[in-house]
Amino acid sequence: MSTQRATGSPAVPLWLGGTAALAMIVHLYLVFVWVPTESSMGIIQRIFYFHVPAAMTAFVACFVGGVASILYLATRNHKWDDLSVASNETVVVFEAINIAMGSIWGRRVWGIWWTWDAKLTSAFVLFFLYVAYLLIRRATPVEVRATVCAVICILGMLDVPLIYLSNRIFRTQHPAPVIGGGPGSGLAPEMLFTLLFGMCAMLLVWGSMVRLRRRVAQLERAAEDLVRRTNEMIDQGI
Amino acid sequence: MENLSWLFYAYGIGIGVLFAYVFQISRREQTLRRRMADLQATVEEHWKK
Repeated sequence: MSTQRATGSPAVPLWLGGTAALAMIVHLYLVFVWVPTESSMGIIQRIFYFHVPAAMTAFVACFVGGVASILYLATRNHKWDDLSVASNETVVVFEAINIAMGSIWGRRVWGIWWTWDAKLTSAFVLFFLYVAYLLIRRATPVEVRATVCAVICILGMLDVPLIYLSNRIFRTQHPAPVIGGGPGSGLAPEMLFTLLFGMCAMLLVWGSMVRLRRRVAQLERAAEDLVRRTNEMIDQGI
Repeated sequence: MENLSWLFYAYGIGIGVLFAYVFQISRREQTLRRRMADLQATVEEHWKK
């Protein structure tokens, strides 16, 4: 990878950054103004429109990061490693949002901040798996870094279906699924639209973040390369 | 009304975390660009000597 390519065009094109920002503003308008208030929980239920898209975005990031890690192991092309670290770092961000907002909702609706049920625990495990990923990535030597990180990514990818299915398989305190949850489940059309719009907005924000983080990864590698070559020149007395 | 405050806290945390992350990444990018420019300047100076 050349330095020119790493430092050239902007990491996030204006159309993407602009669309993501606009979509997020429209989403907030939908959440706070447009969507009707849910009858049993009241206004606090609106946390759902940010909490669920954050979780879905984290799941997408897990899969993209995992697949990119596997592709890096197969091809040894650094572009996949850059994408992998960019995507996996965003898992921590979106899982943190998901857990924090869910906890606030739980405090108001259940009266507790946290409970160790299957859904919450598996989400907590996912968050710490990716925190571990980032710490291990910094601590391990370059030669074994990709292999160790790929193993963690695969564990993370295995945890995603468990989180998604946990309130279908186990009896959990977490609310039953509202989409595809069987008879009696479902959302009013305005609520469903707000939720789906929120997912699209969040994915656009995620796309911008991944592009920006990937650029940083490229720059980090270019800087390491430049330092190495400079040291070699000095050592050779050129 | 109390629930509305909690809703604002929750969204404040959500949006705040997103902004904080983007801000941190942008700063890292700027720091790296500056570091690379300094290194390139050092190499060019070395060549002139």
